[in-house]
Amino acid sequence: MKETQEEAASQTNLLQGTLDLLILKALALGELHGLGVARRIEQITRGTFQVKPGSLFPALHRMEESGWLSSAWGESENKRRAKYYRLSKAGKRQLAAETAHWQRISLAIASALSAT
Amino acid sequence: MPILPRLASLWRNLSRKAGVERDLDEELAAYLDLLAEEKMRMGMDPAAARRAARIEAGGVEQLKERVRGARIGAFADTLLLDLRYGARLLARSPGFAAVAVLALALGIGANTAISSVIYGVLLRPLPYPEAGRLVMVSRHFARSTFPYGNLCLADYLDWRAGNRAFEDPAAWNRRRFDLTGATEPEQVSGAEVTAGFFAALRVRPLLGRVFGAGEDGPAKQRLAVLSESLWRRRFGGNPGVIGQAVDLDGNRSTVVGVMPSAFHFPRPDSEVWTNLVFDAPTRRGPFFYRGLARLKPGVTLTQAQAELDAIARRIELADPRTSHLTFPVVPLREAIVGDARPALLVLFGAVSLVLLIAAVNVANLLLARATAREREMAVRLGLGAGRARLLRQLLTESGLLALLGGAAGVAVAALGLALLRAWNPGNLPRIQEVHLDARVLGLTLLVSLLTGILFGLAPALQSSRADLAPMLKEGGRGNSASAGSRRTRAALVVAEIALSLLLLAGAALFLRSFVRLQQVETGLLVPAARVLTMQISPSAAKYRDDKSRIAFYDRLLERVRQLPGVAAAAVSDSLPPDREGDADTYVIAGRPLAPGELNPIVSAPTVSADYFRTLGIPLLKGRLFDERDKLDAPPVAIISEGMARRDFAGQDPIGQRIKRSGPEFSASPYMEIVGVVGNTRYLGLASALDAVYYEPLPQNAGRKLFLAVRSAAAAASLAPMVRREIRTVDQDAVVTAVATMEQALSDAVAQPRFRTVLLAAFAAVALLLAAIGIYGVIAWSVAQRTHEIGVRMALGARRSDVLRLVVGQGAHLALAGIGLGLAGAFAVTRVLANLLFGVSATDPLTFILVPLLLAAVALAASLIPAQRAAMIDPHVALKYE
Repeated sequence: MKETQEEAASQTNLLQGTLDLLILKALALGELHGLGVARRIEQITRGTFQVKPGSLFPALHRMEESGWLSSAWGESENKRRAKYYRLSKAGKRQLAAETAHWQRISLAIASALSAT
Repeated sequence: MPILPRLASLWRNLSRKAGVERDLDEELAAYLDLLAEEKMRMGMDPAAARRAARIEAGGVEQLKERVRGARIGAFADTLLLDLRYGARLLARSPGFAAVAVLALALGIGANTAISSVIYGVLLRPLPYPEAGRLVMVSRHFARSTFPYGNLCLADYLDWRAGNRAFEDPAAWNRRRFDLTGATEPEQVSGAEVTAGFFAALRVRPLLGRVFGAGEDGPAKQRLAVLSESLWRRRFGGNPGVIGQAVDLDGNRSTVVGVMPSAFHFPRPDSEVWTNLVFDAPTRRGPFFYRGLARLKPGVTLTQAQAELDAIARRIELADPRTSHLTFPVVPLREAIVGDARPALLVLFGAVSLVLLIAAVNVANLLLARATAREREMAVRLGLGAGRARLLRQLLTESGLLALLGGAAGVAVAALGLALLRAWNPGNLPRIQEVHLDARVLGLTLLVSLLTGILFGLAPALQSSRADLAPMLKEGGRGNSASAGSRRTRAALVVAEIALSLLLLAGAALFLRSFVRLQQVETGLLVPAARVLTMQISPSAAKYRDDKSRIAFYDRLLERVRQLPGVAAAAVSDSLPPDREGDADTYVIAGRPLAPGELNPIVSAPTVSADYFRTLGIPLLKGRLFDERDKLDAPPVAIISEGMARRDFAGQDPIGQRIKRSGPEFSASPYMEIVGVVGNTRYLGLASALDAVYYEPLPQNAGRKLFLAVRSAAAAASLAPMVRREIRTVDQDAVVTAVATMEQALSDAVAQPRFRTVLLAAFAAVALLLAAIGIYGVIAWSVAQRTHEIGVRMALGARRSDVLRLVVGQGAHLALAGIGLGLAGAFAVTRVLANLLFGVSATDPLTFILVPLLLAAVALAASLIPAQRAAMIDPHVALKYE
């Protein structure tokens, strides 16, 4: 019991910020439900990030409340009701801003690591 | 970040909670279905796929809890939830809730009330502009028993002449005036003041003006300033009162102003102020006056004192008879409330202890409940509640309790203050100004919240540490976690007992001291209920000189003696126990004193012939005053036994001669001592001074005298008849302070009674709380050990063994607490020494009886659960397993 909780917590910490960016990116290509978001992230990171529901759903709800995402009930591929998320205008702006931010950081880190 | 969607979400989360929750349920259910389908597509059979999906998702409830935690308004939401849950829990165990809230209410209420009094009396600035610069100047000289004695006018004039440090030095003399004129004569409290008085205080009149510079001193017109209350009462609030004349003690005075009702100086009941009209003094004395002034800006108390010290040196140099003269300067607030401080601080200490005990008690109760809820906590942890979330809930619950206690405490405080004000205990200064202060109230709320958080923390931490597996396995009889909690609770109870002992010891000392004070020999052999006393002042206009006044009192006494039921009647200018008239020092014929030496200042009452018989003061030697002792007869005096012992040990005092000392009495004749009477006190019951000399009325007649009437039965009923006789002799006589000697004696101990009653009440609360604490711990431990006790009894333990086992546990706690408390009490009660009378701060009887009482209460409190333990049926106890 304890292990899973602590693991989940550390993963959240690791992904804080990164996870938001990945979710925004995943949804930039079109609307998705929760599992779809997780699978899309796995796909676009080539399996590096496996997003657990314990991190995914709180993030989705938080981002929706921040106004970056909007949600609507729709029908899934298996004809079930599922909640679909899509980027709002604010979300698109946020994606652009975070992408620029992230590129600055990764550039800086890369140059720091290649310095001799 | 956009604010609007956030607000919308907050609103949605809080207002449409059910819908939001349903959405979440569905969303997660859909997620699980989709996940399972995915797995089925990869070849799993449906049941295995669903199980795998569930495992991967990791517990739907935990998931939901995490999503909820991420939502906006989660904090307010859970707070509401916790509050509602907490309230439900409290409602479900009303006994626990009542005890905890009551304990806190008493602790917080007593604290708030006493803090309000302390703030209002000791700390709040006096209601005058820049009041910090106001000072009182008094007089102290060698051998004087009063550290802050009165000034004489010569002192005041010297001070004013040499003044550089003070603005508006003033002299004032508190007195009562007979107000006569158009309506019913009455006596009003007030003061004679010099022009600087109002200027120094910087107060403005409601109407008219105050006294101007140069309106005091020799041959000035007599002026009066009235209080708003007197103005409304006697003049119907008519603004035309300015310029009208009033008769004060027979002096026609012109009203120049009216002071607003907020002005209460020098006393709360002061209603009239007159300008001090005096002739240039020819000697140092009489000592009637207080000095009042405002320090100039930037002048320190030390500088002001240095200036007055220099003035005192000059007076000593000019008059070799004075020595060791000082004029102490103290801040005005200090002068007004200084005497009340020690008792108030002791009471503050006491209420702080009560609050501490109450908080410990509540912590104890919370801890007990936490143990009972270990299983609940474990289950909730298992179901996915975060540790922080549980902590927060427990803290919310104890905070709720504390706030309830705080609210009830405010009610207790308001009630307590109202009672205190109504009681108006023994002239506690400024008590009218005391009210529940907003700051004190804020402090109380803070204290109650802190109490809740602080004392909720230990049990909360303990509960949230609860380990799931052993908890569930042991069926809720958790032992591992309880061992620590048992120790904590025992320590809390020990602390509670120790603190209670401190309070009880203090209260017991006060009580013993109070009893001693009431047992003081008054020296009066007539039962106090049979003596009626009152103060009479015949109209100043009709009775202008000693001769006419003596005739007035003679006629009055004649008539009063004729009344049915009256056994004796007399008049005097002083009365025991503390209605002091004159006091002065004296010299004995043939015993010159060294320069600067003085005999002590002793009470010197002037009494009519029947005085001793009326009050029951026994004649020990010689004779009493009688009709021989007329105005023109040779002067005589009667002394007390104490004075005979002090000054005439081994000699016969009868025939010795004494007189008042001082240059102004150098020409007056010696008085021959004709009798010795029993000791009685005029300076209060606690005064050690028993030397007194009496002078006969005709040879030293004052204007206002006390009438004492001794009746064959209870004297209170005589009052109307006596009043009627006074009216017959003089229509305009003012009669005040009508009371039996019994009431006067009771009033004389009002202040010690006040602090004794309060401290005893606080100690009783502490004892009650301690008893509840002990009971709680023992009862809880018995409940925990039901199984063990059952086993013991099944193995052959008798009921008496069980009783001994349980009571022994209580006795251990009590002994530890008493030991600790005794050590503390020995250290702490010393601060009470100055407030005690006739009892030492380490009084052995107190230190034996109080622990015994506490031990008895502790045993009684553990006996109830012990009996319950002894009633345990081993069959039931073992089956309960």
